[in-house]
Amino acid sequence: MLHIKNGIVIDPKNGIIGEKMDIFIKDGKIVEEVEVNGCKTIDANGKLVVAGGIDLHAHIAGGKINTGRAMRPEEMRHVRQKTGKFRAAVGRTLLTSPAIGYEYAKMGYTTAIEPATPSIYVIHTHEELDSIPIIDKATLPLFGNWHPVLRYSADKDIEKLKSFVAWVLERTKGYGVKLVNPGGVEAWMYGGNVKSIDDTVPGFGVTPREIITSLIAAVEELKLPHSVHIHCNNLGMPGNYETTMETIKLAKGFENERRQVLHVTHVQFNAYTGSSWRDIGSGAEHIAKLINSMDNVTIDMGQPIFGYATTMTADCPWQFELHKIAKAKWCNRDIELETGAGIVPYVYRPKNPVNSVQWAVGLELGLLVDSEKIAVSTDYPNGGPFTSYPYIVTLLMSRKFREEEMKKAHPYMEKATSLSSIDKEKSLEEVITMTRVTPAKVLGMENKGHLGVGADGDVVIYDIDPLNYSSNDWQTILKAFENPLYTIKSGEIVVKDGELVGETWGRTFWVDARADTTTEIIEADLEEYFNYYTVKCCNYGVKEAWLRNPVRITAG
Amino acid sequence: MLVIRPRSDFEVNVEAEITPELATKPVEEIRRFRVYYGNRLVPLEELFDLEKKGDEEVLILEGDFSRVKWVGMGMQSGEIIVKGNIGAHCGAFMKGGKIVIEGNADDWLGAEMEGGEIIVKGNTRHLVACPYWGDLEGMKGGKITIEGNAGNYIGEKMCGGEIEIKGNAGDFIGTEMKDGRIVIHGSCGYVGGDMKGGEILIGGSFELVPAFVKMEDGFVGDVNVGGQGKVKVLK
Ligand SMILES: [Zn+2]
Repeated sequence: MLHIKNGIVIDPKNGIIGEKMDIFIKDGKIVEEVEVNGCKTIDANGKLVVAGGIDLHAHIAGGKINTGRAMRPEEMRHVRQKTGKFRAAVGRTLLTSPAIGYEYAKMGYTTAIEPATPSIYVIHTHEELDSIPIIDKATLPLFGNWHPVLRYSADKDIEKLKSFVAWVLERTKGYGVKLVNPGGVEAWMYGGNVKSIDDTVPGFGVTPREIITSLIAAVEELKLPHSVHIHCNNLGMPGNYETTMETIKLAKGFENERRQVLHVTHVQFNAYTGSSWRDIGSGAEHIAKLINSMDNVTIDMGQPIFGYATTMTADCPWQFELHKIAKAKWCNRDIELETGAGIVPYVYRPKNPVNSVQWAVGLELGLLVDSEKIAVSTDYPNGGPFTSYPYIVTLLMSRKFREEEMKKAHPYMEKATSLSSIDKEKSLEEVITMTRVTPAKVLGMENKGHLGVGADGDVVIYDIDPLNYSSNDWQTILKAFENPLYTIKSGEIVVKDGELVGETWGRTFWVDARADTTTEIIEADLEEYFNYYTVKCCNYGVKEAWLRNPVRITAG
Repeated sequence: MLVIRPRSDFEVNVEAEITPELATKPVEEIRRFRVYYGNRLVPLEELFDLEKKGDEEVLILEGDFSRVKWVGMGMQSGEIIVKGNIGAHCGAFMKGGKIVIEGNADDWLGAEMEGGEIIVKGNTRHLVACPYWGDLEGMKGGKITIEGNAGNYIGEKMCGGEIEIKGNAGDFIGTEMKDGRIVIHGSCGYVGGDMKGGEILIGGSFELVPAFVKMEDGFVGDVNVGGQGKVKVLK
């Protein structure tokens, strides 16, 4: 039991904006005062009290980050913490599993979602998720280039698609449906790509538009907590904002009262104007206007951070492009009939005009899109380490800090983006929304992102007074977000004064959507499919008992 | 000057990041200087006899140091004289000063070295002046002279400085080399893979990867990476 008294609470979901109030935690949940007596008290007088942060898109486990670690031994020479009371933690942009849990907790984050697992490797993904301490987590299997999905989408057979999605989520203990360059990765198996949402995928006579809308239909009918989560076609390419806009508009045919029907991820990488690297510019304003005008699409930033990064996506053709551009190491994986993956080390340089534009585009999106519709992310480790979230939040809150940082960027940024003309400074309430409320809502996690009774006992106390701070004093804001006074996970104190003091084990959420579906209608297709596969159907997938701390969520 | 002698044969490797600067410290501090013996941190005096003679910035290593790694790591000035053999990573990240090894050197001699001089009277093993795995630049400056033979992987991703080998060397010389100079008086195996710049001079026989173009005074390549590296016969 825990009593946090006198803190200044910002809990936007429950309409509490800077009120002095007490918070009580019992059995890992937020409770009413009467239920708690004679327990440990934390005096948070004059300090900001908020829910734990949620990262809805970070490649924290699975085949990609692990291949990245193998490709980049130099990463492992960055020592974050030596063995002592806790485990050793190393990694510069590619952190080890313990380092991931510790570093999230050390900046007040208590939940993170792995957003792209090839299903055949999901056992590895879960092994790694189970090795990450403290935080709660989940994983999203990749659907956008999977042969049965392509076939059912071509046939417009939503019933079969629903059964397949439900079957996969159960087999993989997955949380939702992820698409990466739908159709493009299948085309890559023949050395190609798709260039628009109306290109035809070789061998299937289906278009990305049909794949996306079929999967949205299936996910909505299955009533999954999380919507379709998409990495758009043409990622990284100049002029791609138009493809992104068209993709976003596909949501117009669908409705959901509780949440968005489409989450478009790391939009910074998909928001460029121009026809080549020489005239690349920002399409952020167009996209922001469109997102703000719709009520059923959400996005996350994908903010690049100047410095080291390691790009890793299922978007094989793009990773090959990047390998040629960056002249860096490249690893490609074809994942039989399901998806693919590519990994390329990268450095974002402020003196590079394109990198400067990318940096500005991420911030433009963060500033221009309504806080209820955009979440903070770096698409870790694609845009850089997630440990930069305090830096991003401070940039959004302080125009003065932005001006300082803009001085480092290449002058081309000034010409190609409108960042320097944006005066907007997000309030504490807005950045708390972008890092807590919005990601919880996007993921459909009702007990997260707020401090109402019944919510998870994930609470953070930051050393900043919400009733008395100045956006010009960015040093204080940055320091506060980098060093929480307390991070409390499920009622346990895990971080005090920015230092790790406790290690707990979080939960892994997965979604059971089988109630209204039957595998009977796809049985013959699965049998055919596994004829061409390296494992048998009966050996495919992960049992719930193999997970450290699984939580089954029933769809509906 | 500080004379260091092993007290006994080591059962496991010693990792001793000692530099000539240590010789200028008070005796008490020298004794307590911490080194790894296997996975245990121990004071220097537990493993070595220490004899300080004045404040001169010189280390003299007497006895068998073949299991002692990281000697002279990152050193900036002064001199180390190794009377016998030395273990791996000797002179790694070295920036200045001089190391003289009268016996043989193990792997990773002068890895990522930036300046100063290393002289080996005997042979060296592999990975001389190379970058550590994953790093983009090997030796950047200074000079390494090897009187005897050297092993495989010499001067990978080298960006400056000079390596001179009086004897023979193994395979993979100057792989991904960008600048600097490697001189081999004897023979060696494969040379110049993915070489972008710099110069390799060889007195004896050698094997060139096929992606080099023959010019009047030698070969230029590696054309696979648009390289302008030069491989020539040492006259
Ligand atoms: Zn991603």
